Amino acid sequence: MTRIVHYINQFFAGVGAEDAASIPPACAAGPVGPGRRLAALLSPEHEIVATVWCGDDHATTPGAVDEILDLIRAAQPDLVLAGPAFTSGRYGLACARVTVAAGDAGILALAAMHEDNPGVDEAGAIPVVASGPSARHMGPSLERLAAAARKLASREPLTGEDGRINRPARRAVLVDRAGAERAVDLVLARLGGDQAATEIPLLRFQPVSPAAPVDPAAAAVALLTEGGLVPDGNPDRLESARATRWLRYPLPTGGELAAGDYCSIHGGFSTVWANEDPHRILPLDVATDLEREGAVARLHPEYLVTTGNGTSVGNARRFGVEWAAELRRAGIQAVILTST
Amino acid sequence: MRDDPPPGLTRIVHRVDTVALGDETQYDAGVLTVSASEAETVMTDPALGEVRVSWVSAGEPARIVKILDAVEPRAKGLGGGGIFPGILGPAKPQGHGETHVLQGAVVVAAGFLPRAQEAVADLSGPAAALSPLGSAHNLVVEFSPAPGASWEAVEAALRRGLCRLAAWLASAALDAPPDAVEALPGPAWQAGDGLPRVGAVTNIQTQGSYKDTFVYGQSFGLSLPTLMDPNELEDGAVTSGQYGHPALKNPTFLYQNHPVVAALRDRDGRDLRFAGLVVCPEPVEQGRKELISEHAARLCAAAGLDAAVVTKEGGGNADADMALKMDALEALGIPAVGLFAEMAGADGTGPPVVVAPTRATAMASTGNYDQVVSLPAVGRAVGGHRVDLVDRPATAPLELPTAALYCALSPLGWGRLTCQETV
Amino acid sequence: MRVGAPRIVPTRGIPYPTGDPSLDPAGERAWRRQLLERALAAVATPVAGPTVFDVEAGAKKEE
Repeated sequence: MTRIVHYINQFFAGVGAEDAASIPPACAAGPVGPGRRLAALLSPEHEIVATVWCGDDHATTPGAVDEILDLIRAAQPDLVLAGPAFTSGRYGLACARVTVAAGDAGILALAAMHEDNPGVDEAGAIPVVASGPSARHMGPSLERLAAAARKLASREPLTGEDGRINRPARRAVLVDRAGAERAVDLVLARLGGDQAATEIPLLRFQPVSPAAPVDPAAAAVALLTEGGLVPDGNPDRLESARATRWLRYPLPTGGELAAGDYCSIHGGFSTVWANEDPHRILPLDVATDLEREGAVARLHPEYLVTTGNGTSVGNARRFGVEWAAELRRAGIQAVILTST
Repeated sequence: MRDDPPPGLTRIVHRVDTVALGDETQYDAGVLTVSASEAETVMTDPALGEVRVSWVSAGEPARIVKILDAVEPRAKGLGGGGIFPGILGPAKPQGHGETHVLQGAVVVAAGFLPRAQEAVADLSGPAAALSPLGSAHNLVVEFSPAPGASWEAVEAALRRGLCRLAAWLASAALDAPPDAVEALPGPAWQAGDGLPRVGAVTNIQTQGSYKDTFVYGQSFGLSLPTLMDPNELEDGAVTSGQYGHPALKNPTFLYQNHPVVAALRDRDGRDLRFAGLVVCPEPVEQGRKELISEHAARLCAAAGLDAAVVTKEGGGNADADMALKMDALEALGIPAVGLFAEMAGADGTGPPVVVAPTRATAMASTGNYDQVVSLPAVGRAVGGHRVDLVDRPATAPLELPTAALYCALSPLGWGRLTCQETV
Repeated sequence: MRVGAPRIVPTRGIPYPTGDPSLDPAGERAWRRQLLERALAAVATPVAGPTVFDVEAGAKKEE
């Protein structure tokens, strides 16, 4: 019989709503609130032996996750279930952090929330299954959570069919056979009619919602690049690969980039041409012409740069969010990003 | 209609079990002795200043850093006998006759080049299994440039010097009784006999300075996809001047010992007919990528291939060539399997492939670029004093992404790394 | 395009996205101008999903 601890927030524990968001972690034996329905769906093979809850605001304070984990561990669970958090952002983040901490402590863990909940991105390798958008969808959300919990407890992998939102972690391992031999195995499998044979499952990127169009003649425009173009000598040591940061530099007032003043430190292509003429990476000369002619209202006097070579998608997404915030603060309506 | 099969190549294997430095270069019963002064003379070039050779062998608590190219000692006769055509001597077609191989020894250049990326190989410990150098006796050539020499001249001197050294060492074994004699058949250009015809499509990096690959001594960048006899690779028809992407690198050594060709040859006549090798450049320009990929697919169809294994050199840029080729092949009804390294982030949850094929789906994994490997301290490091990537002494314990380990994510499929999903 | 960026202007080479070393300097600057003008036209165009704005042709939709 699997021992489960269920993590919920102050609202679903029945303690209070926003007024109770600062309450510290607490614990009770057995299921609480929606946990009762969850327990029924999981019985008899699995039992919710304890419920831990915490105020959503308190859960964000330093040390709170450790306190919560202590309460969880005291109940000696085989599995931790958190949520469903629906679209509630603080609750979703708490679920993510609690399940990550449980995972780090060696306990199987699973969270449930809506796919738009910011907690999804914080869950790392912990599986997150989709719930409905609000508590009105509690019934089907609990059913999905329970079904996923059963699979997880039997150590079966969770896929999109189980409602899994985030990607499972892929770890590199050494096996007996070389990649070339395994590739030939896959060829023979394909020739034998197995259309699905693969070691790497294909995934699709989440689509980005396009921004509404703007009239460039009325717009402030910024130049951005992931071509690693930095002042000569790379004074701030931007990485040539696997960049963890981005930088901003002022554009020269003359409206042109002098070769020799700039270089590209990008490790993914031969930088000879970029170093000969930096405008091949950052088109300042033409952008300045367009500003002078009124084709754009104004050109932002700084450019933002990172290196797009083996950049993790997580970091790239973060850079994009940070760039958007910075440029919005600077009153920019449109950007031109050069990509290498 | 021709009846006689095309000529093949005979590989005469001499195993190297023990190595030493000594007064004379000689090979006898598995022991390879090298005269350091003779080797340094072989490397002599106006563009190179001081050159120093040393042995670094599998099992030693040692590390080689700042690795450039690696070449297997091979020769077809005295003075090379035609080996490394276009690099040593005139570019005549090779891949026939006899080729002597000193198996278990590798000649390696290590040291600084301005656009080389930090590349590390351990000879013991957890990382030794991740590099072909980790299980070999490596004759490491450390160098400094001659004052005033351009880096382009230094780089070309290293390439010529390594090939010359490799040929010269193998020449020491020309008269030795072989440990093995392997008959490699000529290409099955037309064979039918009911087995599926499977080919290898090998994309080689052709980005110019420091990121280029040479076929018969010439950059392949402007070429169209070319059907080659795989045995030409045995004789060094393809040599590497590509110094980026340490884990995703295909050194000369792995063209001489092409893993996909070996895997297909292994099953030749049983499950499949190994029907050919198509070598393609990896252009940087999008329009040209599309042309090369479409052209390669048509060449495979014309060669009567029923399926292909596609490989690359490099990272995301090269993935674009992979995706285009695999999709172009599938569009012609030729199932394509691609070898990809995954860039799944340090925790493994990132999307594994940035540019994935849309029609083709069969992909073999060669590991995770971002996964960190812990390397222990070592007693000796050759090739440099520091690992600049993490700003630590080269002998220190190191935490490195797999991306920095020499050939660890081998796009040619040499390695045994793959990725599996954790629950 | 597969990465999902909504507005894309294709260029001629990875090492020189807003350049073309096969042209003379005046020709290259003119090509760069064409790319940027196309980019500004793309910014002014409503799109529903990933859309390619070729300098040579008009806008074409990603399949």
